[in-house]
Amino acid sequence: MELYGIFEAVGELLESIGLSGVWLSITVNLLVAAVLLGVLSVMALFLVWWERKVSAHIQDRLGPMRVGWHGVIQTLADGVKLLQKEDITPAKADRPVFFWAPVICYASCFMAYVAIPWGDGLIPADLNIGILYIIAITTFTVISLLMAGWGSNNKWALLGGMRSAAQVISYEVPLVVSILGVLMLAETMSMQGIVAKQDGILNWYIWKQPLAFVIYMIAATAEANRTPFDLPEAEQELVAGFNVEYSGMKFAMFFLAEFLNMFTVSAIATTLFLGGWNGPILPSWLWFLIKTLAIVFVLMWIRWTYPRLRVDHLMEFAWKWLLPLAFLNLILTGIGWYVWNEMFG
Amino acid sequence: MVLLKDIKDGIYNLLLGLGVTAKRLPERAVTLQYPDERWEMPERSRGIVVLLSDKETGKLNCTACMLCQKACPTAAIIINREKNEQKRWYPTSFTVDNTICCFCGLCEEACNFAALKMATMYEFSVYDQSELIYDMNRLQELGRDVPYTPRPKKKPVAKPAAKPAEKAATDKTVPEALAKTEEKPAADATDAKSTNMDEAPPRQAELPLKPDKPDSTLDS
Repeated sequence: MELYGIFEAVGELLESIGLSGVWLSITVNLLVAAVLLGVLSVMALFLVWWERKVSAHIQDRLGPMRVGWHGVIQTLADGVKLLQKEDITPAKADRPVFFWAPVICYASCFMAYVAIPWGDGLIPADLNIGILYIIAITTFTVISLLMAGWGSNNKWALLGGMRSAAQVISYEVPLVVSILGVLMLAETMSMQGIVAKQDGILNWYIWKQPLAFVIYMIAATAEANRTPFDLPEAEQELVAGFNVEYSGMKFAMFFLAEFLNMFTVSAIATTLFLGGWNGPILPSWLWFLIKTLAIVFVLMWIRWTYPRLRVDHLMEFAWKWLLPLAFLNLILTGIGWYVWNEMFG
Repeated sequence: MVLLKDIKDGIYNLLLGLGVTAKRLPERAVTLQYPDERWEMPERSRGIVVLLSDKETGKLNCTACMLCQKACPTAAIIINREKNEQKRWYPTSFTVDNTICCFCGLCEEACNFAALKMATMYEFSVYDQSELIYDMNRLQELGRDVPYTPRPKKKPVAKPAAKPAEKAATDKTVPEALAKTEEKPAADATDAKSTNMDEAPPRQAELPLKPDKPDSTLDS
């Protein structure tokens, strides 16, 4: 059951009631955006619940059990609670900056999904610079974190924001360089194009680019501010880091964006290294979800296993280890690609 | 070389850590869903103090000997007593103030008549402190279903009382006899010399000196 048929059917339906031209495309795009927003919100709620369950079972606990089957709608209940909370703005906060930080955080997170292929033909916009666009837009998150840290007028928040800026910018470099190897092999930046190149499990780029995959996963964990790289919100040191002054729905936006970020990096890893939505028998969107959620699970598993890095170790690791390794991978890929083309091409 | 070994060790240990958490993941949770599920408390856990009654007559075992009141380090037990027609003491009121009770179990240890016991109950939160002062009726109700080892019925002039129990035990086959002694260790209590300490009889049986005294003093 492929889902893109539904969108085509809706488009035809709209056409039949007299919409045409630019109005038709605007309506369809708005519909797609609404559906995407809905799916992503549900996904974020699900991920929060799943994370709590995974952490609980790793620690031999049960986790949420009260609301719904095994507490499955616990996050929804928490969301309703957050809606009722007072929206506090600190006395000497930089008001506009403080207000817009969570909005930008959530929006940049959401905008990355414009170019993420959910299935065969199921991509809001198949940009020919898809991966570049995603990398660029997800980096916006760091601005929002810095804004939150600055606007809160709180020393913990500022420290968290600063750390997040330093960390995300540092890890962005090996992340992008590791992706370059895949792009060289795929010869395209379009997300659908990259997926199309990886039909069949043997053509997955994880086999040709194992080092890049490892580097990407490490850097992506740091990008998503997750343990062992969760220094921007290190509870024991910074209370809650950049979001310490936020309450109610603003906090919820940061929280959901954090989990969506995790889903985003997993989706990119799926697309670039694990063959995207390619797979037998099951519909393509299901394959995409299975692979992505598997990577999400690994990220959760890592989070509940490892302790946090120290700040200087964090920086050292990015610049002295990951970056040289990423460049090594790039050079080896280039040589290998050239030799392969000379001999068999 | 050292560097390579460090890297190798580092990766190995990272994977080892993941293995530890992965092993925990499918394990059964050790926690309980508290209000829905509860731990079964061990028989000798020290919860709230209750008064025990005779299973047949339903009367309190208490002879108002005041030993528990004297034993209580926080003076949580207050007993008032009177004499009945047979000139035997009986409690007219028996109050346990759970606001000051420290659950030390000394009252239970002092009691020679299996008249009070620390039950396994441990949930008695209330909205007002005064509700924590339990009177005799309430304590009796709480102790109604608490299992305990009754004291031998007959006047325990040591030997004669013990003999029937012993005979009954020897007549039966061995496992049944064992079960019986476990059920009624108090029967052995009067005959302390024959009591095997390895069988760990309940606390009362460990104090073979006292059972006779209060009764006989009361008789006189």
